Amino acid sequence: MNRATRIAVIVAMAIAVLAPIGLVVYQSFLDGPFFQPKTAFTLSAYEFVLDDEDFFDALYNSAIIALGMTAIAVPVGALLAFLMTRTDLPGRRWIEPVILVPMFVSSVVLAFGFVVSLGPAGFVTLWFKSAFGFVPWYLYSKWMLIVIAGLTHVPHVFLYTSSALRSLGSDVEEAARMTGAGPLRTALTVSLPMVMPNILYAAVLVFFLGFELFGLPLVLGDPEGILVLATYLYKLTNKLGTPSYQLMAVVVVAIICIALPLVALQRFLLRAANRYVSVKGKAAAQKPVSIGVWRWPAAAMITAWLLFTVVVPISGLVLRAFVSSWGEGVNLLDVLTLAHFRELMEFPNLTRGIVNTLLIASVGGALSVGVYTMLNLAAHRWQSGWTRLMDYLVLLPRAMPGLVAGLAIFWVFLFTPFLSPLRQTMIAIWVAYTLVWLAYGMRLVSGALLQIGPELEEAGRIVGASPGRVSRDLTIPLVKVGLFSSWLLIFVTFMREYSTGVYLLAPGTEVIGSLLVSLWGTGAVDLVTALSTVNIAMIGGGLLLMSLFGKRSHG
Amino acid sequence: MAKLIIDDLHLSYGSTDILKGITATFAQGEIVALLGRSGSGKTTLLRSIAGLEEPKKGVISIGDQPVFDAAAGLNVPSEKRGLGLVFQSYALWPHKTVFENVAYGLRLRNVAKADIQQRVAGVLEGVGLGHLGERYPHQLSGGQQQRVALARALVYNPPVILLDEPLSNLDAKLREEARIWIRTLIKRMNLTAVFVTHDQVEAMAIADRIVLLDGGRIVQAGTPEQLYTEPVSLFASEFMGVNNQIRSRVQDKRGGYARIELSGHPLWGKDRAGKGVSEEATGVIRLEQVEVADGEGENRIPAELETSVYLGSHWEHVFRCGDQTLRAFGRPLAAGTHWLHLPPEQLWVF
Repeated sequence: MNRATRIAVIVAMAIAVLAPIGLVVYQSFLDGPFFQPKTAFTLSAYEFVLDDEDFFDALYNSAIIALGMTAIAVPVGALLAFLMTRTDLPGRRWIEPVILVPMFVSSVVLAFGFVVSLGPAGFVTLWFKSAFGFVPWYLYSKWMLIVIAGLTHVPHVFLYTSSALRSLGSDVEEAARMTGAGPLRTALTVSLPMVMPNILYAAVLVFFLGFELFGLPLVLGDPEGILVLATYLYKLTNKLGTPSYQLMAVVVVAIICIALPLVALQRFLLRAANRYVSVKGKAAAQKPVSIGVWRWPAAAMITAWLLFTVVVPISGLVLRAFVSSWGEGVNLLDVLTLAHFRELMEFPNLTRGIVNTLLIASVGGALSVGVYTMLNLAAHRWQSGWTRLMDYLVLLPRAMPGLVAGLAIFWVFLFTPFLSPLRQTMIAIWVAYTLVWLAYGMRLVSGALLQIGPELEEAGRIVGASPGRVSRDLTIPLVKVGLFSSWLLIFVTFMREYSTGVYLLAPGTEVIGSLLVSLWGTGAVDLVTALSTVNIAMIGGGLLLMSLFGKRSHG
Repeated sequence: MAKLIIDDLHLSYGSTDILKGITATFAQGEIVALLGRSGSGKTTLLRSIAGLEEPKKGVISIGDQPVFDAAAGLNVPSEKRGLGLVFQSYALWPHKTVFENVAYGLRLRNVAKADIQQRVAGVLEGVGLGHLGERYPHQLSGGQQQRVALARALVYNPPVILLDEPLSNLDAKLREEARIWIRTLIKRMNLTAVFVTHDQVEAMAIADRIVLLDGGRIVQAGTPEQLYTEPVSLFASEFMGVNNQIRSRVQDKRGGYARIELSGHPLWGKDRAGKGVSEEATGVIRLEQVEVADGEGENRIPAELETSVYLGSHWEHVFRCGDQTLRAFGRPLAAGTHWLHLPPEQLWVF
């Protein structure tokens, strides 16, 4: 790519990133929707929101939940990472792939699963009651929400800690053993401190995700009226009867103002963590530490966690999708049915939603990977102010939760004359998805690009290939595999996305995620569980593809 | 005839100057080593010749065609310079077979298919890999990969071939064989070659001429023999061989020789730096030039044998004389005091 093309690509990205945010900020200072002819600048929207008790309630709840889930997810995740990567825990090989499942299933689907399994009339609740005569939990309490949020975010901590532990050379541990430290002491004084920056990074990430939480509080907080920032924003539409754009804009600005410093902190911590890892020892074959009889309680703990966060909600949900009724004294085998799925097929918007989801995940995902690749190539091996600008721009959409980004994109399509005919098409959805996952996708693709050493491209230039030929004959073929696996990850990510499409939901733009959110509001549990099951099956297909591909490219 | 001319080349990264005015001429058919420590600018110089770095000042010409001229704003891109470069990491393309790796340069030059087949087979035969064309790079050993990298750089007959630490990834035994092999191959093809190394033994073994770099400047250029036997500075003498160093002051000067002393004993040596009387100076003598003598005499000093190390082909002795240690090669010696002879023409005073 020549300089002019690179700059053009970066400018285009800047517009795509800044336009939605600019529009939201602009709207927050108006006294009516931006498309109305007579609007004036005012601070009244801010005054209204800052006067609203519910807003501060939501803010407080968000903070408590974010803190609580961090306090649960970090120790559990770090311990899990240590057990899985460094010890002779039995059954590590089959546990490992299951650990990441909560990351790949959309949290709104998981929440439905908790309701049908552990809710007051859930399968597990009823079974427990018939066995013991009482139920010691109440699903819709704030504590339960915190515990569920914490336990479902364990995989994030696990992912970052375990990858750091794996890249840690065993020589540094062996050195500690040689100087006289036992295995436990080595873990506490050498291994863990060395991956501390990564754990810290994961902690901030989980805290940040806590502020963004939408699906879990929407489903689990609603019965007791527990609001968090995202659900406050979602309910705001109905609060005054009419859509109050300026109020929504103020809440969005508030969310971005909280998220942006957290994003910046994450970026800073990630850099610090990487610097730490770069002084790591030589990564040789690691010998697992023997933890003796402790392996059984450890294995039991992991199994309990897996049961609670994966097996119970998902099996409950799937079971619920296949039965016509349940309750005390009902034999589930007698009421098995496919009726819910048949019903699903009778609604054209639901079938369209399934098709649209497949399309956005496969074709849309591929296009997004194309966009991320273009952006990465624009900055590839180029040090300049432009690439640094791009580094910062990528972070901005990261500070917008899917719900917020979907709203902002919706407004942009409403606002821009030549875009408005596209508002009710999948193009709007695709733009929103691509923007929301910009930072993630950019990192996936840049990881693939970084794997090619610069000298492979230089060697091409030396033997006589022009920059264009080098891209075509060398760079692209070399990153092909990396781009394909990036696409697979984006495929699964788009498949489970639920919050971004909420405000963009219209005839023609249905996707499974946003349909689930709106169906849940109507109380159509049969349809919700059937559609969720379809979604889980689709994600499962994507994951299967991923593991097959992973095996092939390794073998 | 000069094949490659570099004139007053300057290059900097930001405010750090890497090359501070390099001027050098490379003749047709000559093998030149750019020798220096890491950070001396040797690799940067090689990459500038290749067109992978952009100097801020100076001229580079290949044949009589300038390919870089900062004043004229000329910077021919790498692919138009037609040079061959062997990378330190070999940089073989992992998605192409050995044959395709080598053939790529010919394809880019629109050589006919049959010709490509023949020329690639020929050059692979030349590097002793005729039978491995269908393999992928990861199926080859390090030494074989290095030969493929060389074949890839040679196949389109570049006017100059550049090699960046070509032997550094081979193990010691293989490296010694490869030195001789590479030199023979380049000489047989009558190519002009420039290679970068930090190993003076490697430089001496392969090169016709050595350019010694330090801190972005040329310290000394000449044949390996010149650099070894007539180093122009303390740095050059230290870099090229293994020395004894004697720190002292100049006591006297006479006819191109200077006198220093080692714990009270006078020693005459060649005056190489023109230091004045009573200035601090360092006497340098190669280990193999120190002789164990049978008794007292001119330029001889008594020294206590401290320890001896058996190295297979010879012994290395460590002597103590006052507060200095001196090392020498020789036959086995009995413990006690020995007289060491430091020939004045082999003792350099810097």
